[in-house]
Amino acid sequence: MRLPRQDWYPRLEPLLGRVEKPSRYLDHEWGAVESQDGPFHACMIYPDVYDVGQPNLGIAILYQAINRQEGMSCERGFLPWVDMADLMREEGIPLLSLETSSPVASFDVVGFTLAHEMACTNIVEALDLAGIPLRAEERSEDDPVVFAGGPSVWNSEPVSPMFDAILLGDGEEGLVEMCSLVRDLRGRGASRSEILAALARLDGVYVPSLYQVEVGPTTTRWGKAVPKPGSGAPRVVRKRCIPDLSATDPLPQKIVPYVGLVQDRLAVEVLRGCARGCRFCQAGITYRPVRERPAEQVVRAAEEGLARMGYDEVSLTSLSTTDHSQCAGMLHRLNADLSLQGVRVSIPSQRLDSFGVQMAQEVGGSKKGGLTFAPEAGTQRLRDVINKNVTEDDIEAAARNAFERGWRRMKLYFMIGLPTETDEDIVAIPEVAQRVLDIGREVVGRGRKSGVSVSISVAVFVPKAHTPFQWAPQLELSEVRRRQALLLSSTHDRDIRVSYHDAEVSLVEAVLSKVGRGGFDLILEAWRHGCRFDAWTDQFDFSRWEEAARAVGIDMVDVASAPLSLDVELPWEHTSPGVSKGFLQREWRRAAQGVTTPDCTMTSCTGCGVCPTLGVDNVIWGDRHAR
Amino acid sequence: MPGREQLHRLRVEYGKDGRLAYLGHLEVINTMGRCIRRSGLPFSVGNGFARRIRLQFSQALPVGASSRCEYYDLLLTERVGEKDALCRLGDATPGGLAPLRCGYVPRELPALEAWLTRSAWEVSFSQGVDRAALDDALRQLLNRGSLEYLRGEKRKVVDLTQTLVGWGWGEPGVLTLQTRATNQASLRPAVLLSAAQGVLGREVPSYSVCRVGLWHEGVDGSLVEGLGTRSE
Repeated sequence: MRLPRQDWYPRLEPLLGRVEKPSRYLDHEWGAVESQDGPFHACMIYPDVYDVGQPNLGIAILYQAINRQEGMSCERGFLPWVDMADLMREEGIPLLSLETSSPVASFDVVGFTLAHEMACTNIVEALDLAGIPLRAEERSEDDPVVFAGGPSVWNSEPVSPMFDAILLGDGEEGLVEMCSLVRDLRGRGASRSEILAALARLDGVYVPSLYQVEVGPTTTRWGKAVPKPGSGAPRVVRKRCIPDLSATDPLPQKIVPYVGLVQDRLAVEVLRGCARGCRFCQAGITYRPVRERPAEQVVRAAEEGLARMGYDEVSLTSLSTTDHSQCAGMLHRLNADLSLQGVRVSIPSQRLDSFGVQMAQEVGGSKKGGLTFAPEAGTQRLRDVINKNVTEDDIEAAARNAFERGWRRMKLYFMIGLPTETDEDIVAIPEVAQRVLDIGREVVGRGRKSGVSVSISVAVFVPKAHTPFQWAPQLELSEVRRRQALLLSSTHDRDIRVSYHDAEVSLVEAVLSKVGRGGFDLILEAWRHGCRFDAWTDQFDFSRWEEAARAVGIDMVDVASAPLSLDVELPWEHTSPGVSKGFLQREWRRAAQGVTTPDCTMTSCTGCGVCPTLGVDNVIWGDRHAR
Repeated sequence: MPGREQLHRLRVEYGKDGRLAYLGHLEVINTMGRCIRRSGLPFSVGNGFARRIRLQFSQALPVGASSRCEYYDLLLTERVGEKDALCRLGDATPGGLAPLRCGYVPRELPALEAWLTRSAWEVSFSQGVDRAALDDALRQLLNRGSLEYLRGEKRKVVDLTQTLVGWGWGEPGVLTLQTRATNQASLRPAVLLSAAQGVLGREVPSYSVCRVGLWHEGVDGSLVEGLGTRSE
């Protein structure tokens, strides 16, 4: 029997005085949907704490989309921090929704955001705390139907046993259709299996239980998922794609939190998709095509949102905001309208060229914090391999321009472990930083008082599904550490600060990115060993993952560092973002030759296949500002 | 833009109630900033790096404590009628932090935090409490002079002779406390009750805390309420 829907807040409140940040659990924020009358109830869960999940624009979009439907209510849910989760278990309190403090297990539908691989143990933790059977196959007729969606669905196999259905691609229409279907069929007394079969007939919906894993000579050890005979499920599930962003609500974010959030500001999505074609980047493939929101709509939404919500900052978010064809005009107009009210306009990242610096100047005005660029690789050869269409001249011109305009602190993002990387590429990373620093000293002057400094942040490359580098091995742990040491020993200037990502976290991330459905055993075992909040540095415990891997017989280093041949059938090929495998193979070969591929929004079609496959097109409102 | 001397200092009294009693002081500050922006009042913005609203708050209320008398001072570039200002703020503020009264005060008054130092609290016990034993424990603490406690990992010392002004019993099961904040420390009711439990050797019943009064204390000991010094 499903748990009854009732308000558990009186049971939760006595715990609030005993936990860190009790405001995470309060609800009653400005703009939250108070009326939750249903009769159909959905709960959207971000599997991390409130302060991390609440700013997620995806949750905001889905929350509004469902609540707009007649007869449907949608609440939010987040994972309680470890102190509260432990107390709730002690007191016998299940995972609760935020708005009405109802048990998550009492809802008709529960949806999870798959934000990144490292959240997988948090999903197990959330289901367990909710009292919902962890595996979809163990759920009874009356249990909630558990959905997933989000940016990390592109190798969903290792988490797929937990979900009844997974939505690929844009969710604003698809999720409403899924909820409507569950409501209608449940209303007619349909069985759970009938509901799942019907869900599988919706565009973009993958129902894992209707697929079986087959291992063969053409697959990896993890096999491939194929429809069970007679299931009627499609061989390949293609993503949902909203063709016109301007037809969507430009202001889905309506809730003003009390807690200081990771991103505590109004966010307006100015475009979806990026066609720059960086070969390591999953989002660059899976969010195609590029769909801009017209400037007029962005400006109106920002001004309306600020007035309605009271934020003092608006962020124009996307994968590459400065690529928006109307970026300069948009920023200029917003700044002119808002600066007197003490409102800041921000953009999440800058293009590595003078236009990027100009846009940073536009948003920063006279206030100069640090400026961040992402060359990603130290040598031109390797930047060509990864298709980061940025030259030495671009980096130097952008740096000079930034120092001349008043910036003093520069942050540069790089990766190590990229395919074809050599020690020469590693040593070149601090050399790039040194050149930028030297330009700063030349423009501003030497000495501590000049304030010129450069910091470099170095991530470890993780091969991701549906990217041209999906066949690449990850560097072995020992080799990552050797290269990190080489990087440090090659950095000689005290004004260059180096930080790098934890190699062990990157290893686990790579394993979760590469394994198939059988990888769920590892996730479950890791959670049983106490893993949760693995994306939090102070919570991540590699030894627990190692113990879990031993227990289920998985050699994590072997999984992560195994190269894959181009013709092998991969565990995620039954789910498709619309980009063809042929394009990815071609890009892999071009990478090996160091040949770059241009951005189709600035030149012509590069043949990725997404537009003809999904029946969509790039939507660009002006002329894109090519370098 | 008017110069600082032309700005109007609007003092707003607000409550902190219900679930929102669990907001921390910084969370209240951020929330109020957003309420003020939503209200459309002609607020003044500082010239610092972050260009914040010119806004000052009375002393922090402990997380979990509710209140009937918190204050903030907001500098406005234009004088707006008090009734209108209260109405606009009320429409833009969550119920648990609702503005109760407002009025203009002289620009030259000291900052709220330093000016309003005397508090009255009601501690409501969920069950019957042994009043005589608790009185005795409080007297023993007061006789010791100071009280040491840990806040996080920091050791704090409060001089009870300065900060604990008095106590008594109001409604059944309601302990009333009068406290004073000094430059060195302020006394939180929960800290006092925790120390009293130590003296008693047993736990007191669970309780809730509400600040019911906040005043300026004159050199002669007279008390002036937050909105007691209005400008014309």
